[in-house]
Amino acid sequence: MQQVENPLSAHAITHVNLQSLVQDGRVHSRAYTNQAIFDLEIDRIFHRSWIYVGHESEVPKPGDYQARPIGRTPVLMVRGKDNKVRVLVNRCRHRGAQVVETESGNTRMFRCWYHGWTYELTGALAEVTERGGYGPDFRTQNMGLVEVPRVASHRGFVFASIKAEGESLAEFLGGAAAQFDMLVDASPTGEIFLDAGTNKTEYMGNWKLVGMDGYHPNFVHASVVAGWARNSESGIGAMHREDPFSDEALTLTRYYGNGHAMLDFRAQRLKSYKKHAEFLSKVAGGVKYVEDMHKAYGKERAELLISLSGDPHLGVFPNLQLIGNQVRIITPITPGITQVTMSMVRLGGVSDEINTMRVRQHESFYGPAGSGSPDDAEIFERVQRGMMAEVNPWIEISRGMHREFVDTDGSVVGRITDEVPQRGQMKYWLHLMTQAA
Amino acid sequence: MDNQKLTQWSALREVELFLFREAELADQHLYKEWFALWTEELLYWVPCNSDEQAIGRKIALINDNRPELDERLFRLGTKFAHAQNPKSRLSRVIGNVVLQQWDADHGGCVTSRFNLTEVRAGRQLTFAGRQTHLLARQNGELRMREKHVYLANHDIPMPNLTFII
Repeated sequence: MQQVENPLSAHAITHVNLQSLVQDGRVHSRAYTNQAIFDLEIDRIFHRSWIYVGHESEVPKPGDYQARPIGRTPVLMVRGKDNKVRVLVNRCRHRGAQVVETESGNTRMFRCWYHGWTYELTGALAEVTERGGYGPDFRTQNMGLVEVPRVASHRGFVFASIKAEGESLAEFLGGAAAQFDMLVDASPTGEIFLDAGTNKTEYMGNWKLVGMDGYHPNFVHASVVAGWARNSESGIGAMHREDPFSDEALTLTRYYGNGHAMLDFRAQRLKSYKKHAEFLSKVAGGVKYVEDMHKAYGKERAELLISLSGDPHLGVFPNLQLIGNQVRIITPITPGITQVTMSMVRLGGVSDEINTMRVRQHESFYGPAGSGSPDDAEIFERVQRGMMAEVNPWIEISRGMHREFVDTDGSVVGRITDEVPQRGQMKYWLHLMTQAA
Repeated sequence: MDNQKLTQWSALREVELFLFREAELADQHLYKEWFALWTEELLYWVPCNSDEQAIGRKIALINDNRPELDERLFRLGTKFAHAQNPKSRLSRVIGNVVLQQWDADHGGCVTSRFNLTEVRAGRQLTFAGRQTHLLARQNGELRMREKHVYLANHDIPMPNLTFII
């Protein structure tokens, strides 16, 4: 019996038909729904690019580890006795069992409980049980947990790349790198800690749907906006003043290249600096915080950092977002299933009350029971269902093409409702997907 | 049966009937009637990651005081709460009800477990967990002062949780 081949099965995907999926101002929905394309994304994007693995504050002491995936690859971010943070593949070199089953913890060594092999915190193979069963050619020094070849960090954010060679992390982040400061320097001591809990969520939709979109809030979050009419400082209402999502707002969309995009709230929030400072003055330690920020960064920068509340609203392609008071990791599971974790950021050098206020802001909008995240997830699921129709398969992302411009720093800028981020990300997606190994 | 035991049993039965009524109002999305079961000061708390998370120090799934719960229910009552449009069809069973500490005149603390089936958007999901109610008697009626819900799945990737849990 002859198998009828899916025209888009793995070996039928060519540069030509990938290129036909991403056009000027529109994308074919198969880029979001097709299993073979998804498999190629894992290989060519997640198993090659710089992928965010975790923050150094998640492994503060030697022996601390955090288990996370890079694409389909389970890895461990672990701090060694030498204080170095490594990223190791969480797979026993003997028969392939995942070695560490708990998500995080502290240990002196790793032991695989299939046949008892043990590994050092560096990944080096420490002991093989019943060593005599292996001949003289068996070299323990070649049998350690595989270390992910490239690991680099930027302001405590640890990235790793399974590909042995490529551009440096700094080159990859480009102009987006400076936006990490908007989060980290919301602390007067420049310290953040990802130790205040994590929302773990899942939606039935493609991973690329959770992007940077300034067009949706007044519609997807209409129920929240209705609530702000009753109390403007409720929840994250205190961060947003004077409808930042109107086409007339000073808010912008900005694309830095390499898939990195942000909703640029800086000018719009700075305009309301006095309201932000006044809001903070009602929180215990808020007046001191404003003073400390001025001392640490000077008036101009302090006012910007305070206004922005540690929310650069930056998406670092493909799996990291710095949004609100959280660090978000996007993990693709299948073409139609995505997991998103949202880890609360605790600021160093501020009062407990300020951190609690920020926790409460996060709780109000984000997570599976928040006022915002579930409606986002709901809409992504509706998109995924709708995209199954391929009668006219095109997703329209042309908004603002006629009015976008290149800023002095080289980034592409549009109004807040423009689809500058979507176009940038899909163009970079195509670039990665059509790159030879 | 002695009088003391009868009193304990009738107290337990009164609490059970209260929890059943609360569950029914939540299942039916009768927000106004459910909100009326609370005392003026209230805490509705659903932690994530761990049952022992410090309130306010670590993020919870739900951490509502009266104004926040009022806003949550207001929002669900608008036409724009997309994740509840259409609404989830819900059915929950309350069991293992134990009075941990009880005073007939003032109320006390009761623990129980629940098993909840949700049907929405072509999917059938199960939520389960333990709950603690701090109940107060006001004008003869039982009211909720605090409700803590410890979901079994609070540390794995979760779907939307936009109905009353």
